[in-house]
Amino acid sequence: MIRSITAPDPKQAPASGCFPGIDYDQNPEVWAKAAGRAVYGTDLKMPGMLYGKILRSPCPHARIKKIDTAAAEAMPGVRAVLTGEGLGCKPFGIVVDDELPLAVDRVRYIGDEVACVAAVDLQTAERAVQSIRVEYEELPAVFSPAEALEENAPQLHRDFPGNVAWQRNISRGDSEAAFREADHVVENTFTVPAVHPTYLEPISCVAESDRCDGLVLHTALQSPDSVRAIVAKVLELPLSRVRVIGPVMGGGFGGRVYGNLKLYILSSLLAMKTGWPVKMQLTREEEFTVGRPMIAAELKMKMALRSDGTILAREAEIITDNGAYSAQAPWVSNTISERNDSVYRIPAVKTGVRLVYTNKVPTGQYRAYGNQAANFATESLIDMAAKKLGIDPLDLRLKNCIREGDVSVHGLQINRCALDECLKAAAKKIGWDRKKAGRGYGLSAAIHANGSLIFNKKFRGAAAQARLELDGRVTVFTGEQDYGQGAHAAFARIAAKALGLNPDLITVQSRDTMHSPYSLGALAMRQTTIGGKAVQLAAENLKEKIVQLAVSLSGEPATMENGVVRGSSGMVFDLAAIAYDYHSQTSGLSLLGEGKYVPEKSDYDDSGYGNISVTYSFAAHAAEVEIDRDTGALTVHRIVAAHDSGRIVNQVSARGQVYGGITQGLGMSCYEGYLFETGRVANASLADYKIPTALDIPEIEEIFIENEDPAGPYGAKGLGEIVMVPVLGAIANAVADAAGEWVTDLPITAEKIYQAMAGWECQ
Amino acid sequence: MKQQIIMFQLNGEPLEIYADPAESLLAILREKLGLYGTKAGCGKGECGACTVLVDDQAQNSCLIPAGKVQGRRVETIENLSRGDVVHPIQEAFVEKGAVQCGFCSPGMIMSAYALLKSSPQPAPEDVKTAISGNLCRCSGYKQIEEAVLCAGDKMKNRES
Ligand code: FES
Ligand code: FES
Repeated sequence: MIRSITAPDPKQAPASGCFPGIDYDQNPEVWAKAAGRAVYGTDLKMPGMLYGKILRSPCPHARIKKIDTAAAEAMPGVRAVLTGEGLGCKPFGIVVDDELPLAVDRVRYIGDEVACVAAVDLQTAERAVQSIRVEYEELPAVFSPAEALEENAPQLHRDFPGNVAWQRNISRGDSEAAFREADHVVENTFTVPAVHPTYLEPISCVAESDRCDGLVLHTALQSPDSVRAIVAKVLELPLSRVRVIGPVMGGGFGGRVYGNLKLYILSSLLAMKTGWPVKMQLTREEEFTVGRPMIAAELKMKMALRSDGTILAREAEIITDNGAYSAQAPWVSNTISERNDSVYRIPAVKTGVRLVYTNKVPTGQYRAYGNQAANFATESLIDMAAKKLGIDPLDLRLKNCIREGDVSVHGLQINRCALDECLKAAAKKIGWDRKKAGRGYGLSAAIHANGSLIFNKKFRGAAAQARLELDGRVTVFTGEQDYGQGAHAAFARIAAKALGLNPDLITVQSRDTMHSPYSLGALAMRQTTIGGKAVQLAAENLKEKIVQLAVSLSGEPATMENGVVRGSSGMVFDLAAIAYDYHSQTSGLSLLGEGKYVPEKSDYDDSGYGNISVTYSFAAHAAEVEIDRDTGALTVHRIVAAHDSGRIVNQVSARGQVYGGITQGLGMSCYEGYLFETGRVANASLADYKIPTALDIPEIEEIFIENEDPAGPYGAKGLGEIVMVPVLGAIANAVADAAGEWVTDLPITAEKIYQAMAGWECQ
Repeated sequence: MKQQIIMFQLNGEPLEIYADPAESLLAILREKLGLYGTKAGCGKGECGACTVLVDDQAQNSCLIPAGKVQGRRVETIENLSRGDVVHPIQEAFVEKGAVQCGFCSPGMIMSAYALLKSSPQPAPEDVKTAISGNLCRCSGYKQIEEAVLCAGDKMKNRES
């Protein structure tokens, strides 16, 4: 009935057919997860630990007149109470500086942090927070970008007049001329609500502060180095005195790139004040009301075409709803505004995007950075054009899709690309030529960057180290995080291949900023391509050093093949002996391989034109749906996902990424979206904010077009984010095919389909 | 409420605790007994991460007041493995790639365990229904369903 936990004998593991001779599919950590022994942030407990709790604003917009914390301070068990007054912190942010750790004078949304306490247990902390009395003077509030942009609208931030947090106008080529000369113009307006990544584990943090170690944050982050830098800056601590250690991460999907900065800063402040570790954790309700969902967007879009289907130009006016503070919303708005333009050969584009403050939950990002929101709009528009021109949607896409060797309208260099093959494969598998009666079929295409220069133009690559241990094993140090997507298993494979060793002999470490190389982290699909390449280079560098050492030890030429170091006379060197010898020679150093992957300098300029990434992944999805004509009820029967992510490093986890990403795309297409009532989140629970369950999943078929890309390690490139992108457009177009009309407002509910069929105006 | 003595069987052993009977079984397991394998994703019966078996039935432990398990049998994820030796369900979850972030896994595995106890060779539809109260945001459920079916086969093969 039972077998050993150490059972996975690499030789017996199912062959994935990727890296011959090396078949090991899982990060060893999965055993601990399955056994219930993995320690997540929410599980952490430390000696002397206090519990922190935050008092939040009940008003969408108000002036704070008075805060009385006397009762909380007098409460037995309470160790610290903080308010914004007297903290002396400067405004901070990720892209624009518009937040404070605790509100001073003014609150800007229901949930804004007003005060916090640390107490000996959670119940005491909760009671203490409730005992704090705050007098508010309510101010007029704005709940939609339209209201916020009105001339006399209440202003949210003094430094951002007109309630515009960020904006950008892009113009490439002569789109006005294109629209003048076009045979056809299609246009429409699409709306996408705010959506939450809904990682299953709520965000938590334990902060420790002492003279010896400085500030240590125990929290699982996709980009620990970025958070560390912000926390150090806000608290005015030297960077080297702030350390982030990650427990196991219960899901991220972009939501844990920066996580919840307020939580980290406030638990740090409480730990610094009390001298004891302080744990803070968001409740599920707080995840929805103060966590950082991806921005809602309205996209007004039009496209000019020739009668033969050639796309001539696209114009868009985009407004994104920032909520009260900005987080990554400017970057997300930027991706929404431009990435989809590079799916096709579009000679001219003109786009304006404005990110607008409202008195609602501040926004952040989600897997694919808004590319999926734009996919819904642009791919619907493509099908609208196909219908108008009487061209098959597949043919229209094949006629215009971007191809190898192209430079896109925004300057993206498309060196490796199998998008046309993806389209053909997805269409073939869904049965494009033999559609079933009563079913609707839709297609959609996507591009996604592998790493992005928008975060930091100077920092383009990644670094890694590979250390030969005294027992002959290898430890890889990387700053790239594994949150279950299989990054570490992939890295172990990559290092194993470079060294010719069994991946079982390789341990990957990333969770401590004190020991791992600096990294931008798990975002923008840079893990495999950029992080993986650095691991490859580090392992190759280690191999070189091992061979050199063998040469100097034996005085004869040596090689390392299949993990065996051999001198020309046939003498074999044990890796442990080599490690030990170096260790003795140097009185304690370890043999360390270093790898840095610094992509070639890019022409990416200040106008945002140029090659933003080292390479791009491509995908086409096809959907088959059915609609109940009496009720509008939608059944998604099948999704076919064809992907060009280069060589697939690990089939099992690649499939897992595809199924998971499509399920999230299905959720965003059909179920998910924030609902507000005068600024209050009306569906702040998993019962009301529905994510797909096992009963909602269609048949999913994946196709990997393994078009090897030299930019990534052994030809591999990113998959984790792009899987979520095309599914939205595919479902929207399949619904339109079945219903005869598009639903242009996400999520696509039965009610909206019914209205679209009846010819009513949506919304 | 006042604390009282609650007696139940936990993972095959008799147990006596002194606790508030209104406190959730989840809180007792995690905070009082240090069994952190049972996860807390919502605390409101909406995610299934806290699933345990009470008298062989899969239940959300966050919704069960501790007083209600008096005299009953409670089984948690910790009972499915001993040291390096794991249950076939856990083995199947790992082999099939059903564990990504893993936060849903203990609850998911307990739901599968309850299903396979009552129906050792379930149909794919039964698997879907059995795990429909367990949310997973990572996997899209497909490899989890494969794992549960595979676990059923493994258990059968090992019995014979
Ligand atoms: S924690 Fe019990 S159902 Fe979510
Ligand atoms: S594996 Fe992450 S929620 Fe299921």
